[in-house]
Amino acid sequence: MRPDPRLGAAVLAGKLAATASRGLGRGGGTTIPGDVALAIDPGVLAKLGAALPRGSVLVSGTNGKTTTTGLVAAALEASGERVLTNASGANLVFGLVAAAVAQARPLGGARADRAVFEVDELSLERAVLELRPRLVVVLNLLRDQLDRSGELETTARRIGDGLRRLPRGAHVVANADDPLVVAQCEGVEGVVYVGIDADDQLLDGVPHAADARTCPRCGAPLHFDRVVLAHCGSYRCTRCDFARPRPAVAVRRITAASLDRQRLELDDGTVLDAAVGGIYNAYNLVAAHAAATTLGVPAATVAAAVAGFRPRFGRMERLRLHDRELRLLLAKNPAGLDVVLRTADELGATHNYLIAINDLVADGRDVSWLWDVDFERLARSSHRPHVVASGRRAHDLALRLKYAGMAAEQVTVEPDPAAALRVLASRAAPGEEAVVVPTYTAMLELRAVAQRAGAVGAFWEQRG
Amino acid sequence: MSRPLRLGHLYPRAMTIYGDVGNVCSLRRRAEWRGIEVEVVPIEAGPADLEACDLLFMGGGQDRDQSGVFADFAEHKRASLERAVDGGVAVLAVCGGYQLLGHDYVDAEGRVLEGLGLLDLRSRAGDDRWIGNVLVEAEASMGLAEPTLVGFENHGGRTHLGPGLRPLGRVVVGGGNNGEDAGEGVVAGRVVGTYLHGPALARNAALADLLLSWVVGPLPPVDDHEVAALRQERLAAAGRDSRRRRLLAWRR
Repeated sequence: MRPDPRLGAAVLAGKLAATASRGLGRGGGTTIPGDVALAIDPGVLAKLGAALPRGSVLVSGTNGKTTTTGLVAAALEASGERVLTNASGANLVFGLVAAAVAQARPLGGARADRAVFEVDELSLERAVLELRPRLVVVLNLLRDQLDRSGELETTARRIGDGLRRLPRGAHVVANADDPLVVAQCEGVEGVVYVGIDADDQLLDGVPHAADARTCPRCGAPLHFDRVVLAHCGSYRCTRCDFARPRPAVAVRRITAASLDRQRLELDDGTVLDAAVGGIYNAYNLVAAHAAATTLGVPAATVAAAVAGFRPRFGRMERLRLHDRELRLLLAKNPAGLDVVLRTADELGATHNYLIAINDLVADGRDVSWLWDVDFERLARSSHRPHVVASGRRAHDLALRLKYAGMAAEQVTVEPDPAAALRVLASRAAPGEEAVVVPTYTAMLELRAVAQRAGAVGAFWEQRG
Repeated sequence: MSRPLRLGHLYPRAMTIYGDVGNVCSLRRRAEWRGIEVEVVPIEAGPADLEACDLLFMGGGQDRDQSGVFADFAEHKRASLERAVDGGVAVLAVCGGYQLLGHDYVDAEGRVLEGLGLLDLRSRAGDDRWIGNVLVEAEASMGLAEPTLVGFENHGGRTHLGPGLRPLGRVVVGGGNNGEDAGEGVVAGRVVGTYLHGPALARNAALADLLLSWVVGPLPPVDDHEVAALRQERLAAAGRDSRRRRLLAWRR
């Protein structure tokens, strides 16, 4: 590679900024180095990407990006590759640059063989143009942080814009069960569809948090034969010929389902035995499997990597605090919160919840979406659960729970995260498991509290 | 009332973004807490008998869904809605539903979506989207127990009321109808239109009770301490937003 002084300066400055940011206690320096490096060389990402011998993989979609990125990276590493990834979930362009800079050689050469990046839906097009990825995974398009992107429709189009800019020969792994994803893949070459054909955990109707009840092509109502979660399942338009495409890789059966584990049987005979539970993770698992095998990793290697994979910060993470087992289940939007509560109620049989809702930019400033969540299900639960309502919008949550039908004694309002954790611990018996469901920044706060109590390490130190 | 209170939910499939369904939930629960049985009637595309309802609610939708809804309403429901409103049915229309009540909506490409012309108001797409906390002082003649409305707006549309119409209230924080005349929403008889999206009636229980009382008469009070706590917190947050916006304006 010819020396590129500008790139070298950008990488060095980015690395220094990361060290300084960490030294100042400003977190893990997950985006500031990106700002610095981009200011010096706007082409830094394209150049660092081009230096990777095996190119890059991008993972986008509303829910499951972090877990799927981790799974794909684990599979590629198991096949002997050195993989660069944005493990701390900083998925805007600055975050990608920061991750690339951190792992580049001082003058800009590559230490890794390939990058696997999770990318925010609205940043996908730019990431595609700069990195020219060999494969893109599109997981789902659900309602998320609407105040940021305006409308889901806009987000969907932006994903489509990214896919249409892919270089020739690139592959797309896409969720066949999500009509909004499929609509964006129309006319895109190299699409490998994945889906869930198993009837083990179906819903009895399209939940309220679903966004695609009408055909993305013609606007007529969609008919669903099966609903797996939100608006994902088997569907066809009642007017035009838009319908779920047949998946190339499908989950045929799900067994041994718990919060910690599930066993997926794929229709090609592969068995994925994973330490991540929940139907939404079944989508992440089958997508990661399809992505890794499309890139040439043998199915057996993928299965071994999946078996050894442990979820990342806040995703089904387990932590011990005040002698209680806490289960951290990140939820960022109505579909995510719906499925997390359903999973906890069906599989966990817990009585004690802490739900923490923040409204910072990373969470979405508007929390109206709480009214799209099926808290009525929680109110009806035979476990008669108790909820500690916490976070900056604890009062919105408490009111929502009241209107959902929860009795006053089933809800305690405690906005402060440390105090909320103490209330949760005081309600759960020693050794009992309790479920903590935070939005993104609430998760960071709760982890920080738990960390001060010695429960977990700082998230930017975790890797794989 | 011998039969249940009928709450018509217009286009629950298409016009249901941003937690609008919280308004249906609020009306239903607040009636039930007073011992009034409620039947929620989903009303989709096609002919419908709106005058058989006591209350009608319509929320906002995504642009694609909204144009289909405008067309369906004009074709199948215009006359029925006029009869319903004349007969005293209360109506709450939010965002896209509110725009539909007027003469027309001109979108960003200049296309004209014909509205119902039920109220003398017109809407057009603005240059930017207004997103943020809103505080509105409701029109005094409505006699709201708590006249300060707290909410969140998220709309690109700008609405201008005709000379004979009154806004729902005066904007204290936020954009409101058009950012020019400080008006927010509209109130005309028993018809209320607003850009306060999401669970506006949950955060403003007095407005929910006013709509219900138009239909069933005076209502006994209920325990609203959760609403009071939320409103206190929201009022403080809107104040912070307002200071931040002023600071930003000054720095520009």
